[in-house]
Amino acid sequence: MGTEEKLNTLAEFVIKGRHIDAKKTAQELLDENVTPQVILDEALMKGMAVVGEKFRNNEMFVPQVLVSARAMKLVMTILEPYFTASSISKKGKIIIGTVKGDIHDIGKNLVSIMLQGAGYDVVDLGTGCTAEKFYDEYEKNEANVVGMSALLTTTMVYMKTVIDYFKDKKAEVPLIIGGAPINQKYADEIGADGYAKNAYDAVILVDKILEKL
Amino acid sequence: MTPKERIQAAMNLQPVDKIPVMCQFSIGHMLQQLKVSPVYFWFDQQTFAEGLIQLRDIYDFDGILISLHGHDPNWKQGIKEITKTNEAEVVEWKNGDKTICPFNDLPYYEFKNPESPPDISAFELSQLPAKLNYIPVSQNLHFKIDEEHKFDIIHYINEKCGDKYSIHGEITSPFDYLLDFLGHQEALISLIDYPGKCKTILSHFTKLIKNLAEEMCSAGVDAIKISSPFAGAGFISPEDYSEFVLPFESEIAHAIRNKGIHVYTHTCGAINDRLELMFDAGVSGIECLDPAPIGNVEIEDAVERIGSKGFIKGNIDSVNLLLNGSEEEILSELKKRIEIGKNKKGLILSTACSIAPAVKRENILLFRKAVEKWGQKKN
Repeated sequence: MGTEEKLNTLAEFVIKGRHIDAKKTAQELLDENVTPQVILDEALMKGMAVVGEKFRNNEMFVPQVLVSARAMKLVMTILEPYFTASSISKKGKIIIGTVKGDIHDIGKNLVSIMLQGAGYDVVDLGTGCTAEKFYDEYEKNEANVVGMSALLTTTMVYMKTVIDYFKDKKAEVPLIIGGAPINQKYADEIGADGYAKNAYDAVILVDKILEKL
Repeated sequence: MTPKERIQAAMNLQPVDKIPVMCQFSIGHMLQQLKVSPVYFWFDQQTFAEGLIQLRDIYDFDGILISLHGHDPNWKQGIKEITKTNEAEVVEWKNGDKTICPFNDLPYYEFKNPESPPDISAFELSQLPAKLNYIPVSQNLHFKIDEEHKFDIIHYINEKCGDKYSIHGEITSPFDYLLDFLGHQEALISLIDYPGKCKTILSHFTKLIKNLAEEMCSAGVDAIKISSPFAGAGFISPEDYSEFVLPFESEIAHAIRNKGIHVYTHTCGAINDRLELMFDAGVSGIECLDPAPIGNVEIEDAVERIGSKGFIKGNIDSVNLLLNGSEEEILSELKKRIEIGKNKKGLILSTACSIAPAVKRENILLFRKAVEKWGQKKN
């Protein structure tokens, strides 16, 4: 099997969530001196882009996305040593978290998966995040974008608190939001820099925002 | 017709004198309307029951959904201290756990020693609960069912107003118990990795829930709602729905119908691709039918497809319409459903998902206003 064919096979294993096969194939590619950057770009990101699109089109659902993400993450574990050696370039760093008062994280986790699959470095702060936590982590990580998630109508209002906090600190990082009760109108009202309806659209949104910067 | 008769007729797909109205509440909305202690509202049967009755009176709904049951009369025994902040009341238990009860939302727990969900790869049947003594209300939030007082609240509300209003109980889908038992993400992955084990767990919970539902029927409810929020297209495919939800909910639905009680399923979000499947479970009706953007159900299309199969309750967007819409917009959407309901037997005017916490009282009062204006048979 040639390199290109093997990369396509790896992408297919990621799409199908065959994590053991994906790891084995990725190791073979590394052993054949294919660079981690090529594996990331031509197999992992390619596979996860298909996953994202199928998810948006209701051709794949959460369980299937989760096993694809597991395959991607397992391959990443063998690529990881190359990150520290700086032989892999990421598209940017994203801070993501569910806002204070909200313990729901499935939607946020899906966005995190899709962003990682698209080649972003994601710092996931978990649930119940305060404005201070978002800001401190943004500063510490020098993030390019900060993403907030909320499932509840009672907690989505805290997104404005976070946005106001960042304004007070004069931080110029784009702040984006998402979650079941959120829409573009609400994002505009509270001064968010973007809104995405689903995990795949979140990737498109971040791509667009970073293109402009 | 009394309100009870009206809802019963709608559930039977029989003619009604006017379109029945009955919405389900979020805990946050109830708390904000009633201005009661959130700790008492969550744990104390009397406070919760009186709140449900008071809210029915405020909104003039035709029925009451008793969303929690099995309150422990001795709930205060384990409390060390209750403190109050600007945002919540906090119960500190003698065992070191904390329950934070916000004034506008569901409680949440901070456990001193949090337990990890079981590892499904090493799962054994003995890990499953022998009795169904909890309701998995939300992620990391159980409501304990007291074995000795399982249906006291149903008896209480029935005695107070059950002759006049439709009284509905609530149970939770086996699929929800599975997600809660294994942890949501692990459970969803396990549908692919360990489908057989998932079905074993689902079968076990189905047996327990079926027993609970049958007992609930005898307690004097007019209908039972099966809460199944994670069975929509936002989570699983129609194929997985057919495999992991339908057979189990079907077993419960048939047991309830065999007792002569109506049963309906509540599934949030996008369910347009599975409306027919949901009725395949043998339910009398379905609730929610979220319209876009939260869901994807168009009411005219839904009525055409499933209108003859059973009753429909829902389709009014609690967030984008009731929370953020104007009075004119709300009335216009209500009128649209009422007009459809006048041509279709079995429509109960209701919010899709629960009334969101911050929805203004006057916006919910529009439901009754709209029915009195447009929803009477003589019109």
